[in-house]
Amino acid sequence: MKPLAHVLLALLLAALQAALLRWVGGGWFSLALPAACLVWLGLHGGNVEGSVAAAGVGYVLDLVTGSHKGLLTALAVLLFLVVRGVSASVDLRSRVAFGVLSGAGALFLSLGAMALQRWAVPPEAAPGAVLLPRMLGEAALTGLLAPALVPVLRRVDGLFEREEPGLLG
Amino acid sequence: MFALFQRYRELILVAVLVLVPLGVFFAHAKRPPERSRLDRAVVWLATPVERAVGWTLSSAVSAWDGYVALRGSHERAREADGRIRDLEVENRRLLAYRSEAERLRALLAFTASPDERRYLGARVIGVRLGTTGLQVLTLDRGEADGIARMMPVVVAEGVVGRIQAVTGSTSDVLVLTDRNSSIAVRIERTRARANVRGLGKPDAAKLDFALRTEDVIEGDALVTSGTDGVFPRGIPVGRVTQVDPRARGLFQDARVVPAVDPTRVEEVLVMTSWERAGGAAPAALAPGGAP
Repeated sequence: MKPLAHVLLALLLAALQAALLRWVGGGWFSLALPAACLVWLGLHGGNVEGSVAAAGVGYVLDLVTGSHKGLLTALAVLLFLVVRGVSASVDLRSRVAFGVLSGAGALFLSLGAMALQRWAVPPEAAPGAVLLPRMLGEAALTGLLAPALVPVLRRVDGLFEREEPGLLG
Repeated sequence: MFALFQRYRELILVAVLVLVPLGVFFAHAKRPPERSRLDRAVVWLATPVERAVGWTLSSAVSAWDGYVALRGSHERAREADGRIRDLEVENRRLLAYRSEAERLRALLAFTASPDERRYLGARVIGVRLGTTGLQVLTLDRGEADGIARMMPVVVAEGVVGRIQAVTGSTSDVLVLTDRNSSIAVRIERTRARANVRGLGKPDAAKLDFALRTEDVIEGDALVTSGTDGVFPRGIPVGRVTQVDPRARGLFQDARVVPAVDPTRVEEVLVMTSWERAGGAAPAALAPGGAP
């Protein structure tokens, strides 16, 4: 159930950011809040649950971004693995670190998607390097907003944590 | 085999989760993205959230525009009202200037007529309407400016009256609609002579001494005949209305609408010299005087 909860949260975040960007930015900038969800899964999720949830979040990203099916799903699982590797070597507990990692995760998704598309998609349909400033902006904004999602992500995780019976239990 | 799978199941799962989507992507990369029923169902789930967020944000924006952003608008509206009032006053002043300029331009064109007439411009500074029907305009020019009694007072549209009294710096004009005013005229169409006498009303006068045998019709233009020694010839006086041909007697009656409404005159021209018929000097106009 936990992966499903994360997938639903990612869907909620995607809808929220779509509405926000419609009303606040008018399309001038973009966000990738589900990337923060992936980073959270990489930091706090288990291998199986985390990777499944990451795949689900990637599926949601594929849907909401309108990209080819499978592209962001694979990248999301890769991002999950990268974050897992980073967290194994570096202690990342603060919100700032989470924000930085979320920003980097958003950039990873964007650049990865661009690279894969330039490779696999016909040249006339592939994204160009002109999108780079937008990607950087998206990563920066995502990194700025990601710390605000920490309580929500904790809450979702808390829904599935069981109290261990203690000595008095 | 199963033991191997059990040992690396997590790795295999992750590999599957990466490789299968990648395979799907590469398999469909050359075609435009399509959405299955499941995809559409998932997107449909997100729609209410987007709508709710949109509604919340639009409500917040409209609340901001409707209430918070209106802070200080009362003061701004008051300032704008004050400015509008100032501009209206300024606009009225400019309209008055324009109207004055048009009148003065007409007077200037009138004075440019090719004859021996000389004019002195004057401004109406007072109006006196007596209970006896006396209608007098006071001008800001007087004897010191060369104005004398009996001088004709005109505007571009026609006769206003004549100078009745003069002081050093002002002069009084007896307007043509005054009961004491009588001006010798000709009917422009037939050249028949008559008199226009005031009735004490600002918008009406009477045609006197028009012979019953003369052809007078409504709409006939009346101009000064110059025979009274006060007004030069050819200045418009008014237009005939309501002709009443009598069955007997020497004369016929008719009403005259003056060419000039003396109540609306602001600037006038006093004719200080002009060519006189037969070299006759200006003579005082007596009420009821014959032409």
